[in-house]
Amino acid sequence: MGRQYEIPIGAQHISLLEPLHFKFTTENEKIVATEANVYYVHRGIEQACCSKFKFRQVSFVVGRVCGLCSISHTTAYSQVAEKLLKIEIPLRAKYLRMLVIELDRIHSHLLCLSHVAENSGFEALFMKTMQYREFSMELLEAVCGNRIQYDFSIVGGVARDLKPQVAQSILERLKKFIPQLDELMDIYKNNWTLSLKNKGAGAITKEDAMRLNVVGPFARAAGLAIDVRNETEDLLPWKQVGFEMITETSGDVYARNMVRLRELYVSIRIIENIINGLPESALITETKAFPDGEATVRLEAPRGELFYYAKGNKTQILERLKIKAPTFSNVAAMAEAFTGNEYGSAPAIIASYDPCLSCTAR
Amino acid sequence: MNKVMTSIENLKKDIGDFYKPELHHFMVMNAVEVGDQIEVQWFFSDYAHPCDTTCFYTLVRPETEIPSIKDIVASAWVAEAELVDLMNIKVENTQKGFVLEPDFESGPLRKKK
Repeated sequence: MGRQYEIPIGAQHISLLEPLHFKFTTENEKIVATEANVYYVHRGIEQACCSKFKFRQVSFVVGRVCGLCSISHTTAYSQVAEKLLKIEIPLRAKYLRMLVIELDRIHSHLLCLSHVAENSGFEALFMKTMQYREFSMELLEAVCGNRIQYDFSIVGGVARDLKPQVAQSILERLKKFIPQLDELMDIYKNNWTLSLKNKGAGAITKEDAMRLNVVGPFARAAGLAIDVRNETEDLLPWKQVGFEMITETSGDVYARNMVRLRELYVSIRIIENIINGLPESALITETKAFPDGEATVRLEAPRGELFYYAKGNKTQILERLKIKAPTFSNVAAMAEAFTGNEYGSAPAIIASYDPCLSCTAR
Repeated sequence: MNKVMTSIENLKKDIGDFYKPELHHFMVMNAVEVGDQIEVQWFFSDYAHPCDTTCFYTLVRPETEIPSIKDIVASAWVAEAELVDLMNIKVENTQKGFVLEPDFESGPLRKKK
């Protein structure tokens, strides 16, 4: 047995975007044990939502849980509130919610991929990926009014309609993006240096993914076919607009890159189908009811399953709101997947988890 | 949502009989204050019937220690640690200090009486 060292990474560290702390126990260069801490950014959002804000205002508050996937939070909250109010939203609002969720998935996946490249020591690919990502931010601004933290989904429907010229612009920009995505796929898939860093790194098996209840691209890269878009047809009609489950088998950083890249093609197809078949209807269902009873909602955010629980008491203020972010489900597996890897691979492995502590700690 | 009532005594047996890692996905634990008691909830989904959500729940006094299900659901320690910090619930073999600093005020999500 070699000499053991304890090496901390985080909460503030150059290879971590998020305030997450890992304590690695290493033997020579190998990681033999990992401890994770996530307690740096609790903001009391659940408490605020059940004390300071009325239930209609809460959709704007939960949009601040996360800058990257705020549409997932506002949509999941709106859906759980609509269940408590017992209302059905117009079909056009459902399609527009799916449109923004998929645009959001494009920018989130590209951000994750760029950081994997950066943490693997491939700065040029980081810059190229971020450059190609820019169009999705501009489209989100055109549709929602903001590049991040878009208050698009509201209780009862959506806050904005899609203008015809914006719809046309989305189709044109997506068409230009497809060759760029092909180029990225080629590099992430075939670049020899990158594959040396990413293949076999941070791998988990399908059995471990099941045992540790992993979600999102992390799970699908290990072959566990869990995607809420496949499961919640009652709330948003994903299969009508071309949803397809993407899985890989090797469960390593390379497989997570492949899952995210292949999902971008699915997102493009979904967005094109939504715009080409956007139904005409109102944007919002009005009601004067107050939330009553309890309900749960699951929604596939870019990082995986987002879960909302709400309990109403026929007043303006909710009795309880519980948010479970995707990274929360992956914490246990994140700690385990480091074991046996070289310490030098840790930054790329962390980036490939796509952790969001802002969501997790709320 | 299919709610299944259980008790502190039967919790591990009920969840142990139900949960199969290859069939069920453990999502999260939750706690809701109901009068002077706390309703503790364990949420599961089903890979084969994905729209089905099963919620095991039990009502406990705040000072009651809840059995841990870590030996049944390997990833449950994260959810248990979160409830210990945020709702000031006692869970078997679970310390404060995972989601909040160990010296933080206990149970910030509990309603102020």
